[in-house]
Amino acid sequence: MYDKDTGLIDRLLSMFQTVQDDGHGSVLLVFIIGMVFGSIIQYTKVHKFEKIAGFSMLKDTVVPKMLFLAIGLASIGLFVLIQLGWASYHVKPIMLGGLIIGGTIFGASMAIFGKCPGTGPVSVAEGRIDIMVGALGGVFGGLVFTVYYDEFKMLMGESLGKSTLTGYFNDSQGIAVLIFGLALVAISIAIPLLEEIDEDDIGYQE
Amino acid sequence: MIKKIPWWLGGVLMALLLLFVFSVVGADRPIGASTYVPYFAGILFDLDPEKYVYLKKIHNPGSWEGVMLLGVLFGSFINALFVTKTFRFTVMPAAWKKYKNNSVTSRLFWSFVGGFFLIIGARLAGGCTSGHFLSGMTQTAFSSMIFGGVVMVALVVTGKLFYKENRDV
Repeated sequence: MYDKDTGLIDRLLSMFQTVQDDGHGSVLLVFIIGMVFGSIIQYTKVHKFEKIAGFSMLKDTVVPKMLFLAIGLASIGLFVLIQLGWASYHVKPIMLGGLIIGGTIFGASMAIFGKCPGTGPVSVAEGRIDIMVGALGGVFGGLVFTVYYDEFKMLMGESLGKSTLTGYFNDSQGIAVLIFGLALVAISIAIPLLEEIDEDDIGYQE
Repeated sequence: MIKKIPWWLGGVLMALLLLFVFSVVGADRPIGASTYVPYFAGILFDLDPEKYVYLKKIHNPGSWEGVMLLGVLFGSFINALFVTKTFRFTVMPAAWKKYKNNSVTSRLFWSFVGGFFLIIGARLAGGCTSGHFLSGMTQTAFSSMIFGGVVMVALVVTGKLFYKENRDV
């Protein structure tokens, strides 16, 4: 699966080689996907502490509005792509212990840190020192999880399968996904728009 | 130059990006953004993937997300310098001063602790806001709906308990 490589540089080079050989897009494409992903986050400001911690205080609702709209539209679109044979589902298993304990820890940490793993790097790239310190904490979290994986695995529990809502409907999958998607779009529109603005943000212009 | 886009345009663009990444012309996989952290931890601490089962397990997705992360950092840095002009070194978010305290030590301590447990939580659940919330719910996965519900409740409860108006501003 990988070469016997040692040392930082070798292992980073091996990262590029793995991606190039893996069949999930070239290194360049994956890099560009990252640039686009980061830009969408940055232009909508959903990486800001004011947006994420603000949502935890229910003073800012841009994060849930954008998330629900994206999921609503993408769920319908993905179903169409699958029908055309252009995509497939890659579903994560239901492991109740992991989802409930992990989700609780994740949600609480997100409120305090004011970032998630996808938005943190955008703030690091903007020069936020507190987030760099948090990223260091994250690397230690990753280290602890890797070293004590067997113990953490016991907390996660057995997999109860990879079921989906779509899977429960045989002949009416399209209708089910359409209702699911439109309901999420409706929720995203119905959530009142609240904004907590970063007064220190010199680049912040309407 | 455009410096900010509204939430609805962000939602539409994020949906299009998700669809592209899922499609066979894109990457034929979901977007994820937390596996890269233990992957890089393995590299930085020079852990042997032969010895640690978890590193072996995440070798491929970790590599993919690692390259994506480099794209995020590069793109955001260029944007911050030349487009949004938001690059500056800061330690304290404005809302931390408004709703928590004025202590740099407090902010850095909680950032470290928050970052540490953010990754523990994400890896326990098998995904984060990107892998579970965005990509998982797009596939109508029950695992991701459970995660999404638990995270929303924990986030709001913590927000209520942790923050209050800071009167010493």
